[in-house]
Amino acid sequence: GASRKEEREVEADRAVPEREERSEPSLIHPPPRRRSYVPPKDLQSCLESHVREVFGPSVPQDWQQTPLQENRLKHRLLARLAAELGHAVPNSQLHRMRRAGDVLGFYRSPVKDSTKIDELAAAELPPNLKIIWQQ
Amino acid sequence: MIRAGAAALRAWSRGRGWAALSTAPPAPPAAPEPRRGLAARVPHRRCPHVSPEEPPVPPPVLRSCRVPVVPPLSPVQAWVGSLRHPEDTLRGLADLHPDVFAVTPRLDILHAVATWQRNYKRISHARVRSRAEVRGGGRKPWRQKGSGRARHGSVRSPLWRGGGIAHGPRGPTSYFYMLPMRVRVLGLKVALSVKLMQDELHVVDTLEMPSSDPRYLLELARARRWGRSVLVVDTNEFPENISAAAEGLKSITLIPALGLNVHSLLKHQTLLLTLDAVAFLEQRLLWHDARYSALVPFSLPHRDLPWPPPAG
Repeated sequence: GASRKEEREVEADRAVPEREERSEPSLIHPPPRRRSYVPPKDLQSCLESHVREVFGPSVPQDWQQTPLQENRLKHRLLARLAAELGHAVPNSQLHRMRRAGDVLGFYRSPVKDSTKIDELAAAELPPNLKIIWQQ
Repeated sequence: MIRAGAAALRAWSRGRGWAALSTAPPAPPAAPEPRRGLAARVPHRRCPHVSPEEPPVPPPVLRSCRVPVVPPLSPVQAWVGSLRHPEDTLRGLADLHPDVFAVTPRLDILHAVATWQRNYKRISHARVRSRAEVRGGGRKPWRQKGSGRARHGSVRSPLWRGGGIAHGPRGPTSYFYMLPMRVRVLGLKVALSVKLMQDELHVVDTLEMPSSDPRYLLELARARRWGRSVLVVDTNEFPENISAAAEGLKSITLIPALGLNVHSLLKHQTLLLTLDAVAFLEQRLLWHDARYSALVPFSLPHRDLPWPPPAG
């Protein structure tokens, strides 16, 4: 209504100093999550340290056999790994993560980069342009 | 619920909405380095020690199945996120019953239920006149023999131009039929399982949003890569922010859990359930597995129905 028109006038008045902000699109809108993931070289040691930190003294001899039965500890471990590596376990794979070894196997597999058309589809598009690309 | 003031709306229209939001992104549990806001995360990093000045981490939201899961089945799981911030996706872990969210993907049942949904309401009003209904044509146009022309009994027979139609549509025709209740219930279970296994199902603790701006919802869906259409399901009432935001949007639909159906699930790319909706669906859909067959219709009073009896 009327308040939006006032806001637009205010916006037009302040158009000049804000051109600097508009030139960097990554600051204005959050970029969509990147799907690509490459496992780091020290993945195993990193995972082992996280497992020992979360599970404390109850880690068996082979840390990869640690069961992830309790939801609280499982959530803590997987959330830490997601924040650390920037790649979270998707919902469809969560029930497969029964032991720490399964988590290691998941994080070892790299996720491919999207193709050019996928990137174009995910990029900032004008509102009347839709890209439908299904592989 | 945090309402967006005029200053926040102005900041939003200038494109600095994320900076104007007062809800900070939740700190990951004991993350090695403090987050750099919206900048890209570096995937390769050593694992340093926990810094001592971390903000307090909220306790994880954990949800277990109310209906007991009989072994050898084990529950499937999903992350519990929230809509308060675009990066708040790993708030907790929810257990989902495998007999609802991990059934065999029966595509034939999905097809049957989707076709039923399209057809059972259909009434086709197409109707054409037969030779008896077309005006005229009671008299024999010429004598039977001797005129040299073909023999005819009426000018409105289907052979004639302007005559009636022999086997045309005789509407209104109803295409109503009912699939058995258990087939329809299984269709819903199959659709939910397919959504979960294709990573298109997300669970959220509540639908509280920091602002009622539709652009916030769209940006959140885009940032989390939800797809072109989102179906949001809650049990009873929706908070005002999300209902105001989704009102003008065509790609985001809000429905109550009673209105969940296979056609909507297939039509929308992503499904967003609240924890209440998950509990409601599990209770209602699992009841059919262990009930007696109906000797009388369920619309008559029963003692053991999972839904409350209708008033009056």
